[in-house]
Amino acid sequence: MKKTILVACGAGIATSTVVCNRVENLLKDNGIQAEVVQCKISEVASRQDGADLIVSTTILPTTYQIPAEIATAYITGIGMDKLDQKILDHLKN
Amino acid sequence: MPLAQFLKDELIKLDVSCDSRYDVFDLMYEEAFKRGYVSESFLPKIKEREETFPTGLNLDKYSIAIPHTDPECVFEQFIGVITLKEPVLFQLMDDKSKEVEVKVILMLGLNEPHSQLAILQKIMQIVQDEETYEKILAAKNCKEIHQLFNKLETA
Repeated sequence: MKKTILVACGAGIATSTVVCNRVENLLKDNGIQAEVVQCKISEVASRQDGADLIVSTTILPTTYQIPAEIATAYITGIGMDKLDQKILDHLKN
Repeated sequence: MPLAQFLKDELIKLDVSCDSRYDVFDLMYEEAFKRGYVSESFLPKIKEREETFPTGLNLDKYSIAIPHTDPECVFEQFIGVITLKEPVLFQLMDDKSKEVEVKVILMLGLNEPHSQLAILQKIMQIVQDEETYEKILAAKNCKEIHQLFNKLETA
């Protein structure tokens, strides 16, 4: 089944735009069919139904029913490969 | 739109003294508001946003902050560049409980970022490159910042 990934940041503008692109490329390179949705972290709680994973550049203000990864690595460039792998692992199941 | 076109001389503040991140926001807002680049709500919004979702980034050898807020507050887009004599504290984007000392701040006044992936990627490239960081910190005038940004464009 096609997966849905929510990519969030504080304002839903700057850092999530960069992370969205990175995640889309990651999925493409690994042949994973998934929809990547960009949003504000405040919208995540109401949008998590039907989604499979949250990738957030900012702190998570609450806990969610679906897995979440903090993606600051894509902004700082430190630990990107590790994060790639974590995201892929989440989507394997 | 080339990266350097987002630079505005009045929003490049080099080697300035600020006591806190709030001072930095006040300084930039004052310049941006009087020129009509931002709305009055920009200042409270950017402070509130920084409180709730901080923008400090810790690179291996240095830290940088990229404060920004809702696109509705920005009428004319800009990238503000601030370098400080003495660092101020910013909380980390991914961990509010940690504060880092920041001497270089890139304030992002963007209002259509979904179509600005290339610009944002360039900004992140600046954030990630230690050599560029050192050059920004060492810059003596706006011209040097312009040159630096222009160079990144062609790199």
